[in-house]
Amino acid sequence: MIEKQISTRGRKLPKPAVYGGIVIILALLPLFIKSNYWLHVLILTLIYIIVTASFRLIAISGQFSLAHAAFMGIGAYTSAVLSRWFGWPVWLTIPLGALMAMVIGAFVGYPFARLRAVYYALVSLFFGIGVLQIINALGIWTGSYQGLTGIPPIFGASKIPYYYFFLGLTSLCLLVMYRFEFCRIGTTLKAIAQSYLVAGSVGVNEIRYRVLALAAGCFFAGLAGACYAQYNLVLSNLSFNFMATLWIVMYAIIGGLNSFAGPIIGAAVLIIIPEFARDLKMYTPYVAAALLLIVVYVIPQGLAGLPEVIRSWYIRRKAKRVSHAS
Amino acid sequence: MELAVATLVNALALSSIYIVVALGFVLVFGILNILNIAHGAIYMISGYIGWQLVMGFGLNQWLGLLLTVLVVGALGIFLEKFCFRPQAGDFNRTLIVCVAIVMILQTTIVVTVGYKVQSLPAFASGILRAGPLSVSAERLVTFLISTALLAVMVWLINRTKLGQQIQAIAQNREGAGLQGININRISGLTCAMGCGLAAVAGCLMGAYLNLGAFMGDYILVKALMIVILSGIGSIGGIFFAGLIIGGLDATLPVFLSGAISQAIAVGIIVIVMVFRPRGFFGREMEM
Repeated sequence: MIEKQISTRGRKLPKPAVYGGIVIILALLPLFIKSNYWLHVLILTLIYIIVTASFRLIAISGQFSLAHAAFMGIGAYTSAVLSRWFGWPVWLTIPLGALMAMVIGAFVGYPFARLRAVYYALVSLFFGIGVLQIINALGIWTGSYQGLTGIPPIFGASKIPYYYFFLGLTSLCLLVMYRFEFCRIGTTLKAIAQSYLVAGSVGVNEIRYRVLALAAGCFFAGLAGACYAQYNLVLSNLSFNFMATLWIVMYAIIGGLNSFAGPIIGAAVLIIIPEFARDLKMYTPYVAAALLLIVVYVIPQGLAGLPEVIRSWYIRRKAKRVSHAS
Repeated sequence: MELAVATLVNALALSSIYIVVALGFVLVFGILNILNIAHGAIYMISGYIGWQLVMGFGLNQWLGLLLTVLVVGALGIFLEKFCFRPQAGDFNRTLIVCVAIVMILQTTIVVTVGYKVQSLPAFASGILRAGPLSVSAERLVTFLISTALLAVMVWLINRTKLGQQIQAIAQNREGAGLQGININRISGLTCAMGCGLAAVAGCLMGAYLNLGAFMGDYILVKALMIVILSGIGSIGGIFFAGLIIGGLDATLPVFLSGAISQAIAVGIIVIVMVFRPRGFFGREMEM
């Protein structure tokens, strides 16, 4: 189970200089990348980094939610419908979309918190399917199967302001999620994931913390979804179905569920690398499947654990050589 | 009257396919203790294997069905030995492997066959008439094959030594091992049986409706619904739950739009899960 894999071990503080450097490099990228298509890919990567990191935020509490894309969809459709049909300003509808996802997440979190492990995964899967069918059933309001068009944009036609907007948003969200995970709440969540009985016996209100984790995760998923809607301007429910959830889960697991950097690395690798071979896009799932199998059989820590694996392999080889020499 | 009979026959044929798939799923779930997300993809690929054997190699369709079951059963043994057993029951890792299998199978179909809709030739053609009522022979054959398969499974589980061993493992894995039951062998056989059931359902569905690379997702959801409604460890429960789900599926779209009827079915399942996670007929899984 997920509980065993996530440790409560405290981590070294990040080197702010390194992270600042990465953000600065990313901020300078539009100077070199002139192609709109690549900017689009980078923006999508940034959006999915938020979504995947928020998936992990829920997963550290031991809840394997298979409805994450659906929560993203709730945020996206709330924001899109409010701005498209009611003409509300975009800057108001995006937070409302995020809040809507959070409220629904908290609302279903209470009954769902009775369930654990496989049962939780299943009930969230069905909840996701149900949300999608309700979106389909709303007809003209959500565009049903044809998709919703004519959503008002945040900025003009150029991609560059969007890029900076999403870079800022992603950095901010990651910072908040990082603080959330490595404060008392995050530690409590990991304790619940490891053993809810022990956590309960020292006075942790298990259900409240699990709902809190779900609500927080859904807030970020809804925020990313709402921004995605106002950026993409066309919504199709295919972006939020079960396959979409599976992709999010795959980003998180290939990157490594154990570390905060995992989902970021996983989303970036799996979204950007296939774009280099755009003609072979049909074969992308093969790459993902191969990566998944490698992660399961070779590096259980995910891509984020790759340096660790290489280092330990190197040390072992060195030790062997030393013992041979003596 | 005409509509009522047609709906009833549709419901029976559809639920019988659902039941066969759910039975295979619950066998793997109960014995190997894993949530086999790849079950739908296996069902899908067996439809295509049958299609290739019958349409590509020109085999008799019944022979094609039999060969498909054997091939997919062998695939099941392979999956159990090299994909499920090494994970030692770890939920996360099994889930990842299953997702990888789904990706590989679906992409293989998309790359080789493409999105063009294919279908198997009907196992029985013609329309049976009884007075004013007429019933498509194919739907009847689908229903009969599934029912026969179900009866065979009930006999196998309850009356044979293999079935007793399967039940013992489902009840207590370590205890069964201590009694001298070869757990690995039984697990492999169970996985092969589960995949074989999926193969029969895939071929039947290929003839009943048509084949598509993503048809497995839909049937997987149906199988999960049936398993949740019935609980694990009761074949009779699977049968009744399958009839309920198939009946809902065949009758609700007559009155309501497709999306709303799906949403209602899913809503029922979510409520059942929250208030009675062990289902109505079986026992709860301990994970």
